[in-house]
Formats: sequence, C-alpha cells, structure tokens
Amino acid sequence: MIALSLNNLISRFIFLVALLLFVSGGFVVAQADPITVQARLVLGTSKEQKGKTEVPDTIRKRLAKVFKWMKYYELRSRRLSIGDGATKTAKLSKTSKIEVSNRKNGKIAVSLFSEGKMLVQKSQTLKSGSYMVLAGGSGTDSAWFIVLSKNK
Amino acid sequence: MNENEIQLKVQALVDGELTGPEAKEWRGRLETDAGLKELHARLTAVRGLMTGAELPRTLPESGDFHWSQISKAIEREERQAKHLARPASGANWLLRWVLPLAGVACLMLFLTLQQTTRPDLGISLGSDHELELSIDDLDVMTFNTGDDAMSVVWLDYSLDLQQDEMDLWLD
Repeated sequence: MIALSLNNLISRFIFLVALLLFVSGGFVVAQADPITVQARLVLGTSKEQKGKTEVPDTIRKRLAKVFKWMKYYELRSRRLSIGDGATKTAKLSKTSKIEVSNRKNGKIAVSLFSEGKMLVQKSQTLKSGSYMVLAGGSGTDSAWFIVLSKNK
Repeated sequence: MNENEIQLKVQALVDGELTGPEAKEWRGRLETDAGLKELHARLTAVRGLMTGAELPRTLPESGDFHWSQISKAIEREERQAKHLARPASGANWLLRWVLPLAGVACLMLFLTLQQTTRPDLGISLGSDHELELSIDDLDVMTFNTGDDAMSVVWLDYSLDLQQDEMDLWLD
C-alpha cells in the first residue's frame, strides 16, 4: 500500500517537472532575441565611379543577378543592435531614414521614410545570410538600394 | 374548204398521212376531179424526185429541248446538294483537324522555346512577407529570389541619396 502511493507520488512529480519544462521552453522560444542588423545604402549604376566603395562581393552578385546594373557602390552603412521588441532608427541620407523593429520569431519590420513620410513597411523573417532589399530608380541610369542583412 | 386546204390534203395523201376513210374519200375525189388528179400527180412526181436527195439533218437538241434543260437543271441541283451533304473527304479532314492541330503544336513549341530562352533570374513571387504602403499612388513591385535568400521591394520612387551635412561631419 505504501509502495503504491510512493510510485503514484513519483509519477505525479515527473509529470509536473515535464509540464514545467514544456511551459518554460515555450516561453523561451516566444521571446525575441536581440539582433544586429546591417543596413547599407547602395547606388547601382552601369558607370564606374572612382573613389566610391564597392559593396561586398556576395551582395553585388545577388543584385547583379536580378538587376541590370553591374556596379554597386556602398554610400552609407549603419549597424543596428536591436533589443527584444525594440525599434531602432538609422538615417541613411539627408531626407531618408529607416526604422527597424525586432519582433518575435526572428521577424523584423522595416519602415522606409523619405522627407518625413513613411513610404513602405516590410515585415519578414530575416535569417542570417539572407537579405531584405528596398529599392527604386533614381534617374535613367542608376538605382538606389537599401540592403538589410542580419549579422550572426 | 379553200384552195390551200385542199392542196394540203392532197399533199397529206401523197405523204400517206391521212387515215383510212379520209384517204379513201380523197382518192375518190381524185377520180372525179381532174384538177386534183393533176395536183396529186405533180406532188407525187416532186416527192419522187426528192426521195433520197434530202440531206440528213440532226437537231442539236432533242425535240423535248425545253424539258431536257429543266431536267438537267434539277439533276445539277441534286448533285450539288449531295456534294454539300456528303461526309468530309480526306482533304476536308486534313483542313479541319490536322491544320489546327499543327497550329497548336507550333504555338506550344514557340512557347516552350520562349521559356527555355528566357534568362533565369531565380525570382519567385510567392511569399509570406507582409507589405504595407502609406502612399496610394506609389507603384510597388515585390518578389523573392528563388532560393528565398533575398526579398526585394521595388518602389517607383527616387530617393534623395545626398548625405546629411551633420553625418558627413561626424563621419
């Protein structure tokens, strides 16, 4: 009789521990880790421009595979460390800036502002090694790119 | 009976066109009338001279020319109706089926070649990404690369790339 109640007690204890581990594990997963996002303002052009820094080769290859321009110059670069649920702003030019929010499950939201007005907001899961690009034409023979990547 | 009718009757008798009683009557009148007898003799002589001397003539059309033309017209219309109602011949079958099929095959071949010659940009359009626009008349195009390693939002907007003077000073 005593052995039976001891077994029952142990079983209940194991069940409670397992339940506690499951709940705490889920809570940890639901938390957003701090992230570091690299934002680059890039000029895409078909003409070579001396004195300007070219983008890293991985970015150039990716952009050149999709877009017609062959030269990509990095005009500005900002590194943003964003805490859980926080939002950081980076000014990329005289009139434009981006706001990057760190959301749950590795998802980020990027808002592009120009002359004080929000143009677009994009939300997606940004993995390490992948890129989010906001782009547009600037003149007849060039384009601007805002390339965001997540640092490891 | 006038003179002309009498002559025609005599001529008919010479030609053997009168029936038995009538011919007998007119033969009797020839016996009694010398003028008629002389006319009969003259016509018989002329007939004798003409026998075998007439040129044979054949009519280009049969005597029932009018009816034969109607009959031919009816036959021609019937032939045309049968021709129209007749099932498609080999040539018609070719026109109805083989040529359209060949056209479709050529179109598919053309499209296939177009697809194979198109440059592979590795772009996909499906994604679970969310996009929110604040300006209604802003043209936007969004796509992902095939490996999903790069998402692009293309805006029909010219961004001012000039650096802020304060940033320039800080940099």
